[in-house]
Amino acid sequence: MAILTADNVSFRYPEEQRNALTDVSLTIREGEFVVVCGASGSGKSTLLRLLKQAVRPVGALSGQLLFRGRPLEELNEREAAARIGLVFQNPESQIVMDRVWHELAFAMENLGFEPSLMRRRLAEMAHAFGLEPLLGQSVHALSGGQKQLVNLASVLLLQPDLLLLDEPVAQLDPVAARDLLQLVHRLNRECAMTVLISEHRLEDVSPLADRIVYLKDGRIAYDGTPQEICRRMDEAGDEEAMRSLPSVTRLYLQACRLEGGMSSADEPAPFTVRAGREWLLTRLRPDGEREAGGGAVSAARADEASAPKAREESHPPRDLELEQPGWSVRLPRTDAGSPAPLVECREITYQYERGGQEVLRKLSLAVREGELLAVLGGNGAGKSTLLQLLGGLRKPLRGKLRTQPGLRAGYLPQNPLLLFSGETVREELAEAARNARQPEPGAAVADVLASLGLEGLEERHPYELSGGQQQRAAIASVLLGRPSLLLLDEPTKGLDPLAKEQLAELLEELREQGMTIVLVTHDVEFAARRASRCAMLFEGAIAAEDAPAAFFRDNYFFTTAVGRMTRGLLPGMLTYEEVIGRWAQDGPSF
Amino acid sequence: MMRGGFASLHPSVSFAYYAGVLLLCMLLLHPVLLAVASVLLAVLLALLGGWRRLARQLPGMLAVPLAVTLMNPLFSHRGRHILFYLFDQPITLEAILYGATMGLSLLAILLAFASYQQVVTTDRFLYLFGAAAPRLALLTLMTVRFVPLFRRRLHEITAVQKQKGISVSEGVLRKRMKDGMLLLRVLLTWSLEEALQTADSMKARGYGSSRRSSYTIYRMDGRDRLILTLLAGLAAATGICRAMGLGVLTVYPRLEPITLSVADGACLGAFTCFLIIPIILEGGDKLAWQFSPPTM
Repeated sequence: MAILTADNVSFRYPEEQRNALTDVSLTIREGEFVVVCGASGSGKSTLLRLLKQAVRPVGALSGQLLFRGRPLEELNEREAAARIGLVFQNPESQIVMDRVWHELAFAMENLGFEPSLMRRRLAEMAHAFGLEPLLGQSVHALSGGQKQLVNLASVLLLQPDLLLLDEPVAQLDPVAARDLLQLVHRLNRECAMTVLISEHRLEDVSPLADRIVYLKDGRIAYDGTPQEICRRMDEAGDEEAMRSLPSVTRLYLQACRLEGGMSSADEPAPFTVRAGREWLLTRLRPDGEREAGGGAVSAARADEASAPKAREESHPPRDLELEQPGWSVRLPRTDAGSPAPLVECREITYQYERGGQEVLRKLSLAVREGELLAVLGGNGAGKSTLLQLLGGLRKPLRGKLRTQPGLRAGYLPQNPLLLFSGETVREELAEAARNARQPEPGAAVADVLASLGLEGLEERHPYELSGGQQQRAAIASVLLGRPSLLLLDEPTKGLDPLAKEQLAELLEELREQGMTIVLVTHDVEFAARRASRCAMLFEGAIAAEDAPAAFFRDNYFFTTAVGRMTRGLLPGMLTYEEVIGRWAQDGPSF
Repeated sequence: MMRGGFASLHPSVSFAYYAGVLLLCMLLLHPVLLAVASVLLAVLLALLGGWRRLARQLPGMLAVPLAVTLMNPLFSHRGRHILFYLFDQPITLEAILYGATMGLSLLAILLAFASYQQVVTTDRFLYLFGAAAPRLALLTLMTVRFVPLFRRRLHEITAVQKQKGISVSEGVLRKRMKDGMLLLRVLLTWSLEEALQTADSMKARGYGSSRRSSYTIYRMDGRDRLILTLLAGLAAATGICRAMGLGVLTVYPRLEPITLSVADGACLGAFTCFLIIPIILEGGDKLAWQFSPPTM
């Protein structure tokens, strides 16, 4: 039975030339787990908000939306609030109350539940979600992941039939993101809750989804099971859409192409590391198929230890080559013997308040000229603090921070909005140019607008821009200060694959012009592909630092999906481009 | 935060206690009774917040009552017992006693307020009176959340804007003021943006769709009822004594002896019992943990 039906739904925001949604027809069955995918601006959020009357945007809507056969408009406010739950992207701004228990009860209070009922549901939920230790805490003390968990729980306490999630994990670190998605998946499996979740990356959600709806410019471009949509994207040769597929799946599709054909319908495309590895094993050792059969994984495990050794014996030079994968030529690694580092930290210690915890503890790190250093690490490991210290925005409590004389650093905060103080982009940039005493502020602004692709947005308020545009405007503002060291705090957070690609290209261009870049990130894939050096921050100090290939090769969890998939089989390969490059060169047998 | 002892009682019980203290300390204008009350309330405050904290707070709290005691005889010269003349003005015993009574009453009330703040916190108070004005209560709770949030955000903004040269800690006064305003503007724009999202999240969770109820983490149990009854009985007994003219020192027109009569003693007894209940709860709780921690 259909819980939700959209019939030729089109929507246009006031004063816009284009439709945000065009002829969207969609039927969602009871208990389905549906992912709405698409780049930012493709209409994902608009679609979700149209399904929730209380937050429905203003604009021209045509077509029909039915909830269990009744027009959505016929639901009264109370019913709509209880039957359809919505969780938003930003974990922090959704919270209303001061204490966790009160935040959880907020939705139930709004509907005027009896105290005994509220107590019962809260007890049940706190138990099921493991929230008991948090109940008495202030919401400020929670991490982003915990906040989003509280937001989800508060909505679930109304026991909705349809759960809408608008990019719920875009602002979370990967570990918290996976935990939250697993929980949603459990609700779907164990309580048969219908889930509609929007995401611009399919890496984590596609193994959980029954169905994926891919939106492109407000139209449904693909709709089907993960298997079906990846096949159709492949057939259409839709590179842009394929960017959102998991890297394991992209690797598979590319490999199939290299083998001179489309992926065949009887071989399912892999969406998880495990499935990808099973597939890879059948390709690498075609003769192993007879022992593999259904239990390819166990066979893989047994082979893992012996396989690399066997290959090493047969092709000894290749593994040495792998130490220098192709792209490292493109991003030359600066040697240890290069001139004095740009910034050097020696055993620096930092804490925010007297008697507080030491955020950084005897941290030593050197930033070399011209490199792109990616600092990875868990939540609250002090990554942002480290950047602010490197940028001179904070002073270390103990230890030495030596910077090259005359070094200018530009710091881009995680939330680019913090940087903006002007009413329009132009005003913002003009002020930045003035502050930096640029000789010709007008020309400098025009220059930076052009090079960052911000033309046409000059008269907009920075808050009206999309996430990627806001970030580029912020980078423009920082660049006008003519820094030679650029410090970026979580630059890929919340960006769709295209915006991420554009950011990577921009960083590359800046490096070619001689810029040194340090970024802190949770995004392992980005660091593996784009950094020239990676460092891991742990317990306030650098626990490991190396070139990406070496850095990620030895990590078990903290490495790319392709790295996990090829572990022991194709050592040192971290990105699907690397694997495909080798494949094209040497064929599937390597 | 939940804790043992007095603060673990239902908010209405602790609120009733402080209401009683306030009323009785204003009615029982007898220096001996008020001195006893002040000592007991100081002990309660120390049990709640520690002796060291009491020692820090006490000088500040003593200042006003002491001033009242000293000033009253300088301005009021009524009374028959003239002790001496200061600048040709008679200083009377009545005026001194009257001032001291007022001062002690004030001191007792200040001490009560200091412990009230620790026991009846904002959310407990709102729980008690939220039903009368639910919207106001909600607004207050949301505001309570904003204070630390804004402080943290301003801190972040300050650090980031410093690289643009915008800072309140350097430059001439005019520039500092201008920069300060700019930082506040950034904070406001950002917070307004987030407030829109908060409003959406409230609407999405059915805010305004029905009459609100309120979830409470407090439950009135047998112990709460027993203590409330005890407090009410003792307060009533003290009040009846007061209505009979006991427990108050008549200064004018003719000064009574300061010593307590037997009947006054009964009044003091009831009042002391009333005041001492939280001390027994709080102290008993501490002693229980000290000497016989619950066995595992």
